Amino acid sequence: MLAYFVAMATYAGFFMILAQGLNLQWGMTGMVNFGVAGFYALGAYSGAILSTRIGIAPELAIALAGVAAGVAGLVVSLLTMRLREDYFAIVTLGFGEIVRLFALNEDWLTEGPRGLRIPARPFDFGLSNAVYSLVYLGVVALVVLVIYAICERIRSGPYGRTLRAIREDDVVAGVLGKNVLRFRVQAFVLGSVFMGVAGALFAHYIQNISPDTFMPMIAIFIWMSVIVGGYGNNKGLLLGAGIVIFILEGSRFLGDFTSIVTSQQLSSIRIILIGIILMAVLRFRPRGLIPEPKFMSEFEKTS
Amino acid sequence: MQTLISRRRVVTGSTAAMLGTAFVPRFAYASDPINIGSLTPNTGGGAPYGGNMAAAIKRTVDQINAAGGVLNRQIKLTQEDGETNPETATRAADKLINVNQVIAILGTWASSVTLGIMPKCQSANVIQMCVSSSSDIPLRDTKGLVFNFQILNPVWGRALGQLALERGYKRFKLMALNNDFTKSILDGFVDAVGAGRLLEKPFYYNANQASYKSEVSHLLEGNPDAVFIPGYVTDFTAIYKDIYRSGYKGRVITVTFAASAPFKAAVGDAAEGILHGYPIPPLDSPAYKQYLREAGLEDNGQIQHPYGTLCRDQISVLALAIQKAGSIDVDKVKKAIVDVSTGPGKKTVYNVLDGLKAIRAGEEINYSGAGSPVEFDSHRQTVDRDVQLYEIKGGKDVVLTTRKG
Repeated sequence: MLAYFVAMATYAGFFMILAQGLNLQWGMTGMVNFGVAGFYALGAYSGAILSTRIGIAPELAIALAGVAAGVAGLVVSLLTMRLREDYFAIVTLGFGEIVRLFALNEDWLTEGPRGLRIPARPFDFGLSNAVYSLVYLGVVALVVLVIYAICERIRSGPYGRTLRAIREDDVVAGVLGKNVLRFRVQAFVLGSVFMGVAGALFAHYIQNISPDTFMPMIAIFIWMSVIVGGYGNNKGLLLGAGIVIFILEGSRFLGDFTSIVTSQQLSSIRIILIGIILMAVLRFRPRGLIPEPKFMSEFEKTS
Repeated sequence: MQTLISRRRVVTGSTAAMLGTAFVPRFAYASDPINIGSLTPNTGGGAPYGGNMAAAIKRTVDQINAAGGVLNRQIKLTQEDGETNPETATRAADKLINVNQVIAILGTWASSVTLGIMPKCQSANVIQMCVSSSSDIPLRDTKGLVFNFQILNPVWGRALGQLALERGYKRFKLMALNNDFTKSILDGFVDAVGAGRLLEKPFYYNANQASYKSEVSHLLEGNPDAVFIPGYVTDFTAIYKDIYRSGYKGRVITVTFAASAPFKAAVGDAAEGILHGYPIPPLDSPAYKQYLREAGLEDNGQIQHPYGTLCRDQISVLALAIQKAGSIDVDKVKKAIVDVSTGPGKKTVYNVLDGLKAIRAGEEINYSGAGSPVEFDSHRQTVDRDVQLYEIKGGKDVVLTTRKG
């Protein structure tokens, strides 16, 4: 049982990193990125290819995967930054599919639909499987915390205020002398780096990735995390990502306690349940479980 | 701020709930149930098959338990949904392995799922039984834990290639859906007709495209005698419409489930003359007839539940192997799996209950299943599945021949 919680906590960690990346892009800066799965896949594949094909240390490969995703983020954002919100969303969705189809068709590099096996184990010092999974959870948790610290620092500083101003109205931010393009590109690239690192950590954890692993559904789960947790609030997202994994996987336990429904009916019930919970959260907590704190001036605070 | 659900309450509540289940003490007794898991594709791409796969496993377990179980222990079956998606299936496998403590995971269908959960199963020493056709499966199974009940595709493609040659076609072009199973079918086809008869190297197309005009015009360039297009029904329907519109006069060859009922309904008379083939359950086997009765189906001479039958065989063979091994030690069980299913000179049994009786009576058995005779080669892959070949005439599949595996 403990091994299961360790595994689920590790998966929740990947979702938390992705959610923080998306929050930086959408929650704080207002850029609708539906291509989360693409950046995740890009990180996973570049990390895996670097460590298995080129043979560099997997720890370094994970870091470089972040760089690769960041470069992709830079290109995507520079090419599309002048598009309006909804058009930008479509382009990012397209990017996600491009990455998946590339991985599917470029056999020589990615092994195509057969999937890429990743025997390299990062942070492995000849540990037993049980200890190794704890170490891996520790590494993922550390990455979550570091990224959380970076995001909190951004959010609470003047930089975060500028991002929020751009989110609310980019024209006003521009009129006030902020370089909107530069801020947007920076936020997008940083978010992409986080997603890439999450992908590479994930790939080395499950040790077998195929294009089917990165269906657009992942993006939906990450969006759910951010929406349920509360966009713009870093603490909220961590909670949101945890809750999404808890609902997705916790609902499996329904089957262990009931035999009234068949396993096929139960699969449908699970998915309906997930939808209902999402709707309930949005109905009763439209800004998420932990909403973004409202900005108050010093005057308001003291009065 | 007064709120309905405070953050603290959520955190405390969920932590307490999780920890509560974590520390229930577990001791193993000889009378404890034997834990077995299934991970069928109840939703997603495999959904048309997942339901009867899961049901077949459940029915067989119920039969075994009602007759007193295996080694005097009941089987505790935990059924999960793999969603035909390796990302979620890996987490489901995590639950089966670590929470339900299963010794085997049955019923994985997509190769990506079977391969995706393989690292977890290998490191936890859990047996996998699958119906996936990727030829990568035996290569990656370093511990000898994966048993494939689906015929390997080169055999399948070879049967179709031989048919094409017998019909006198000499110049071929090949195009396939880009996924793992079609790749090995193509290899078999090329093997049978000879690479020299291909006008061009085979190429792949992607699923879910609105139109396949450019792929089709490329395929028909040079006017080949016959084209071979293994895929699934949705993409094959779209492709075939484009082929028909182009006025192509050569022969179209595909796999049976691409030319299944929805395809025929969509294209009508235009389907005339398509050749297709499929590895079939042994339609005359007592095991297949028993399966139909168990599932409440009429014997109509057609193939029903191609994967459900294979899942009945999976759980039956596993239960027999456990009885034969005399313990649930995975290393003993995996050897016994081959022992109870493969090899000549043993008593043939067609269902699990007869098999259990025979083993208890000290007899050597060979289980012959509803989906195949279940004979494994040295790589734990099923051999000996018959492939049936058809031609569509007047909107119906007319059997041309059955090729022994």
